[in-house]
Amino acid sequence: MNFFTPPQPTNAMPPANSAQRPPILTGSSLVKTYGSSTALAGVDIAIAAGESVAIMGASGSGKTTLLHTLAGITPSDSGHVGFYSASGLVDVTAMNESERSRLRREAFGFVFQQGLLIPELTALENTALPLMLAGYPRREAEGRAQHWLVALGLGGMETRRIGELSGGQAQRVAIARAQVTGATVVFADEPTGALDSATSEDVMSALLGSTVGQGHALVVVTHDETVAARCSRVVRLRDGRVLSHTAVGTTFGSNAVTA
Amino acid sequence: MTATTLAPPPPASASRSGRAPIGRLTWLLSRPTAQTKAVLALPAIAFAVTTALLLIVLGGVMMFWRWTIADADLYQMLSVIALVLLIVPLIALGGAAARLSARRRDDRLATLRLIGATPGVVTRMTVLESTAVATLGALAGVVLYLIAMPIVGLLPFQGEPIGAGALWVGPGAILLVILAVAALAAVSAAIGLRQVTISPLGVRTRQSAPRLHWSRVVVSVVAILAAYVMLGSLGSSGDWMLTIIVLGTGLGIGVGILNLIGPWAIGMAARLALRRAKTASRLIAARSILESPKATWRQVSGVAMTSFIAVVAGTGVSFMDQFQGDYDAPTRMLMADIRTGILVTVLISFLMVACSVGVNQAAGILDRRDLYVSLDRLGMPRSVIEQSRSRAILGPLRFTTFGSALVGGVLVFPLTSLALIFAPVSLVVIVGCLVAGVLMVWGTIKATAPVMTRVLSEPERM
Ligand SMILES: Nc1ncnc2c1ncn2[C@@H]1O[C@H](COP(=O)(O)OP(=O)(O)OP(=O)(O)O)[C@@H](O)[C@H]1O
Ligand SMILES: [Mg+2]
Repeated sequence: MNFFTPPQPTNAMPPANSAQRPPILTGSSLVKTYGSSTALAGVDIAIAAGESVAIMGASGSGKTTLLHTLAGITPSDSGHVGFYSASGLVDVTAMNESERSRLRREAFGFVFQQGLLIPELTALENTALPLMLAGYPRREAEGRAQHWLVALGLGGMETRRIGELSGGQAQRVAIARAQVTGATVVFADEPTGALDSATSEDVMSALLGSTVGQGHALVVVTHDETVAARCSRVVRLRDGRVLSHTAVGTTFGSNAVTA
Repeated sequence: MTATTLAPPPPASASRSGRAPIGRLTWLLSRPTAQTKAVLALPAIAFAVTTALLLIVLGGVMMFWRWTIADADLYQMLSVIALVLLIVPLIALGGAAARLSARRRDDRLATLRLIGATPGVVTRMTVLESTAVATLGALAGVVLYLIAMPIVGLLPFQGEPIGAGALWVGPGAILLVILAVAALAAVSAAIGLRQVTISPLGVRTRQSAPRLHWSRVVVSVVAILAAYVMLGSLGSSGDWMLTIIVLGTGLGIGVGILNLIGPWAIGMAARLALRRAKTASRLIAARSILESPKATWRQVSGVAMTSFIAVVAGTGVSFMDQFQGDYDAPTRMLMADIRTGILVTVLISFLMVACSVGVNQAAGILDRRDLYVSLDRLGMPRSVIEQSRSRAILGPLRFTTFGSALVGGVLVFPLTSLALIFAPVSLVVIVGCLVAGVLMVWGTIKATAPVMTRVLSEPERM
């Protein structure tokens, strides 16, 4: 599981294995430019239900931009993002701002590098927030949130405020918040970037357990090879293009699937 | 003299001999980008309004002090009271501007560390910048004052409009006010900087909100009872001089009480709101008030003072009004003038509070832009963000306004009951004034929504 295949420069295509499981999120020919700099220069990617995909690449290679485009945070200039919801295929690209906001709230979960939790709220309240936004009564929202916190090893810390938690604990609260609504895809941008390696391991386990472990997909941007090695697939970017798709470990059989 | 405020000699010359040309660095780094423009413009506007209001009020006070009519000394005393009352919201405004300055330093530290500047240099730069911005704002305020003079000059005192000329304070006073505003900016920037030496969020999140001691409440209740008895013994004596003296004392006690229990009462109300909160926005609003009831109190206390005074003094006027028939013409004139004075003080105070709330809100958005951007990314609806923001101020504001009015009402209860019967008009005006004040603050919060729009539409690269 913990071994890593070096990148193999190729003209990348979506991996063949995406047929194995139904895709839940697809991006095709995604292009995004900021002024004169090109962040995405035609990216094709498919995320299958229940898989974990690590996005790697040098700084400025377009990882965050790709994540934001797939998640409906930033609209791409051209190309399409499709999300397979329970009620069928939705064209994320065609949605307006408030529809995308709703999609993010209801179908996706997010974990950022710096938790970015609301500092005044307790761990429990932060976790319950997405449920309250979805219209759950507060008591029920906090009950479910409580379950997640306990499952992530934060039992007894419910009433602590974010400033009273360590970085790793705060990050686990963020993971609980991302999964409390049962999001089918969780996006994480360098979730372990600010943590030491031992804490990073714990947080990554928590993240994998609460997403892939529930049959949900995880897309994680990372610079850390050990983090990437724990995902089922690694996508490497360079200058806004996919350099390689690499299947890791046993999930998809072979080590490097390219076409 | 103005030139010296723009370039304080000691730090500038000291550094000229050393490494960092602070003046030039400040200028280079102050050049506006989209965000810094707002950060610089906000305190400048705040200082402009402060200066204009200060000059108008000063003009009014000086006008009374030039009077030689029979009751001049009474007018002079009352005008000084009004001036003193306006200091509370004035300080709140200065503090708001200081917070923005502090934020500027945090932004800078990152940039400047890269080029090897020491924190001392950064601090001096920020103080210099705040002072320069305040001076520019003050100059704009003088223009504002000149424009407002003819309009404010329409106010009637002694039965006729006072006229624009009466409010002229003279070049010396204008210069002094500019200097004072600049000094206020420099001092509050320096103080603000000391407070954020540790990361502002770090300071804010460490422990739960402090509970205020119950002894404050006991002291307050005793004081209210004492004042109540005193005011009650006033009975229905028609001696207005005595009335004013007793009311003045009651007013002093009341202001003291409000400051004692204000933060505590806000904290209590927020705790109650927290328990009852059903929606996300109510929950967040209650929590952010609880984070620092004192800070919330600081923002709305100007209103508390004013509404309290409006009720006490306004009721006093209504109370005296009922003896209109017994009074001679000059005394009746005096009554009308006191009422005008109260209204003007209330309005100016609300204007200052609205201004400082606006600056605080805008600063708050810029302070927490990362958080707001992330909440937006999570899919938190914009309306929830906005609601929690305005609830966190309007809740305490309403509570404070009507709470202080109530304390005022209790204090002058023997008078209020009579006043309600005999002079409801006066009370209606006061209540109208308070409602207008709350609406003004509400409008200010709404006016900061574009700042949020910009923060969300141009999220910082992460
Ligand atoms: N808001 C923006 N405005 C201008 N340019 C941007 C913006 N966001 C991204 N870019 C540019 O797009 C390119 C890709 O940026 P992106 O943030 O996706 O990189 P990244 O791979 O996440 O890098 P890092 O590892 O440093 O986070 C970069 O060249 C960057 O300068
Ligand atoms: Mg990035």
